[in-house]
Amino acid sequence: MKRTLPIIIILVVLGVAVVSVLYYTRSTPGSNYTPTNSATASTAPANTAQPPVVTGVAGADPPYTLGPANAPARLEEFGDYQCPPCGLFHPILQQMHKEFGDKLQITFREFPLAPAHQHAIAAASAAEAAGLQGKFWQMHDLLYEHQNDWKDKFDVRPIFEGYAQQIGLDVDRYKRDVAGEAVAQRIFLDKKRGESLGVKGTPTVFLNGREVPFESLPAEKLRPILQNTINSGGR
Amino acid sequence: MRLYVTAAIVSLLGLADALYLTVEHVTGQSVRCTIVAGCSEVLSSQYAVVAGVPLALIGAAAYFGVFSLATLAAFGYRIAGTLLVPLVLLMFLVSLWLIYLQAFVIHAFCQFCLFSAAVTTALTVIVLIALLSRRKTTRN
Repeated sequence: MKRTLPIIIILVVLGVAVVSVLYYTRSTPGSNYTPTNSATASTAPANTAQPPVVTGVAGADPPYTLGPANAPARLEEFGDYQCPPCGLFHPILQQMHKEFGDKLQITFREFPLAPAHQHAIAAASAAEAAGLQGKFWQMHDLLYEHQNDWKDKFDVRPIFEGYAQQIGLDVDRYKRDVAGEAVAQRIFLDKKRGESLGVKGTPTVFLNGREVPFESLPAEKLRPILQNTINSGGR
Repeated sequence: MRLYVTAAIVSLLGLADALYLTVEHVTGQSVRCTIVAGCSEVLSSQYAVVAGVPLALIGAAAYFGVFSLATLAAFGYRIAGTLLVPLVLLMFLVSLWLIYLQAFVIHAFCQFCLFSAAVTTALTVIVLIALLSRRKTTRN
């Protein structure tokens, strides 16, 4: 018995380890996401495979959006400009905007993950300050496209001021706005909205109020989800 | 004996940590940025995968190895106690290298990786003490 007992203990631990890994990799929330589709929606209203529709508290008003408000697919992204996966998701969303045009509305919400990302608030402020001069998306694009140029820098202010100049902002006004109450308030409200929706990380994406699982964000997975939502008239 | 039992229990902590990271890696959750710390930077870096295998899975295998050898050693298999020494020393060196990467190359720390380094350090200390006390008893 003494000779076989350690072997039994080792095999039990191995078994528990393997079973728990298999269990958790298969039961990740949302990994069995099925795109909204009218047939299943009408026959199975309580389809548990889909994440629930969530509303949450209002964010900054008006939100920054691309595409019409009556688009059948309304996507809301909570993002952090310093977060590398958000930077990777940026060109995917641009591509989706190009492909789906008026059928897709994209809303961006600020969700800076400070203090994990030391420049996240500065970057969100830069985008929001540009927004006050009607150039939110231009600054948004520059921040994401040049993420690697600024995320490891000590002082990002001059870099962001350079972007402000590049997109034709009134730089003096930008400098005032970036540290102003209006910008801070918008970021605060977006973050509150995210928290009320259960957002814990970035990028977190909702499509017509349902969370799209992180692993469905690559273009080849997001595209059919958007297409199905559009085909079903947004349900 | 008691030291090997302790090493086996401590290695289970490391095993649980590494398995958690493996699940996060496989399901893609680890690459999302979270408010906690820089795990996304660390776990989505090129160093998180070795020849296509998640580093966390290799870590889990190493902790399982330590658990198995420590359990055998606790039951009196001397060779297992001897084999533990190079294994934990190798794990300790890899941990040092990974901390160096987090501090100076990736510029972000992941608390789960730091926990693993702490577990490995504890294991190294325990196994070395066990080795020394075993030599003492042999001499006496």
